Amino acid sequence: MTATGESVLRIENVHKRFGSLKVLQGVDLTINRGEVVCVLGPSGSGKSTLLRCINLLEPPEEGRILLEDKEITGKANQDGIDFVRRRVGMVFQQFNLFPHMCALDNVTVGPLKVLDKPKSEVEPKARALLDRVGMSAKVDEYPDRLSGGQQQRVAIARALAMDPHVMLFDEVTSALDPELVKEVLDVMRELASEGMTMIVVTHEMGFARDVSDRVVFMDGGKVLEEGPPAEVLGNPQQPRTQKFLGLVLDH
Amino acid sequence: MNFIRQYYFDFGVMSDNLSDLMAGFWITIKLSIFGGVLSLIWGLALAVIRQLPGRATAPLRWLSIGYIDAFRGIPLLIVLLLVSGGLSSLSSPIGGDVIPDFIGKPTWLGETSPFWYGVISLTITYGAYMAEVYRAGIEAVPNGQMEAARSIGMSHGQAMRFVIVPQAVRKVIPPLLNDFIALMKDTSLVSILGLADVVYVGRQIQSDIFNGSGLVAGAILFLIVTIPLARLVDYLIAREQRRTKRSGESNDSDQLEETQPAGGLPPNSGDLS
Repeated sequence: MTATGESVLRIENVHKRFGSLKVLQGVDLTINRGEVVCVLGPSGSGKSTLLRCINLLEPPEEGRILLEDKEITGKANQDGIDFVRRRVGMVFQQFNLFPHMCALDNVTVGPLKVLDKPKSEVEPKARALLDRVGMSAKVDEYPDRLSGGQQQRVAIARALAMDPHVMLFDEVTSALDPELVKEVLDVMRELASEGMTMIVVTHEMGFARDVSDRVVFMDGGKVLEEGPPAEVLGNPQQPRTQKFLGLVLDH
Repeated sequence: MNFIRQYYFDFGVMSDNLSDLMAGFWITIKLSIFGGVLSLIWGLALAVIRQLPGRATAPLRWLSIGYIDAFRGIPLLIVLLLVSGGLSSLSSPIGGDVIPDFIGKPTWLGETSPFWYGVISLTITYGAYMAEVYRAGIEAVPNGQMEAARSIGMSHGQAMRFVIVPQAVRKVIPPLLNDFIALMKDTSLVSILGLADVVYVGRQIQSDIFNGSGLVAGAILFLIVTIPLARLVDYLIAREQRRTKRSGESNDSDQLEETQPAGGLPPNSGDLS
């Protein structure tokens, strides 16, 4: 919809293993600016690991990742780590808010400590971000006083505070009670409509169908199929994709 | 029975020597505070060094582990004798005058050299104990905290300082207080260097008039401080348990990340470079 066709992220032949377990076995993927890409696949297909490789929480063993035409992978590439972490925001399944800080401090700590920006600039912006995710009434609350959905929205604001060029969402609604899923997806929908480049690992088929520009299906550490959501979800070519979608769309 | 009352609980002996005993106990308190605060700082430094990431810092990690293992296993009394003997000899002609007097025979802040030998020894030994307590606290902080901190661009050092250590310290305040109680009792060993702490004063009374009441008075003074501290520890533990129980209820299920093999990576492992 809003994709410009200019590539932001290029993933080339990325491999990752944990011990003897090969989690990623040669993933190739290109993400364009403004594009919303949903990554689907069964448990253990490597989709979460792919996200974690992109921001180098798990450095890949083989292959290259280029962010805005700069290679971020490679041995002892501290430059690459700093480069990617300041341009790519990540939201986690378990929220991972800092429990000893209130919602506002969770959002301001990055810009204050990492970007060294003055409080007078950071705080109004953080309040605006919390307002944007519908949390303006809870800025002073600590995470253990917030519901899962509220915590996840604060976590989204925390990632946005670093002005990321790309946002990664790692099954961000999987740990939520069903009635809390919508409030988080709504925030993500809005972000997508504002033109944020997003890579979303999810089991929410409705979200993938309605919001994404492209759906990627992964299994066994590889990308098996990708394309517009209507095609991949409506008329999958690969037997594995057909089987998976049959299982998740059936009920 | 009468003997027991007279030997241990002669209140006349206690009150006659009250000012000496209180002066001795004041030294005990000062030793505890200096030794305790320095151990807290030194222990945290050791624990943080032990958690440094990456291959390049491995020698520092080994040094820290070796130090902690060594000084947890050596009696404080031996450390005390080696520190006082070593420092005083090395700053004397007999030891070659290799270190200056203000380090070898310290009298900082108007305290005696045995006082500072005691503080140094307590810090060396209890720093090792407290490092282990901090380590347990650091490892108890969920891995996701480090990942979240790194994902918003923090370096390992920033993540430790702003995210991991503040949470770890909160978790380990009760066991640190326990170590502080143990440290306070162990200050009594410094009396063998001739420092007139409350135990030294009590022993003087005991050998002068064959009466243990001075030592019992010292024990009572210890209890006046340590029992409230122990109660405080219990209270803090109970409060922490209530808190974790509550946050455990408000958080949803705590599943393992799907693609990660169970127990695959140690917490805060060096992979997060």
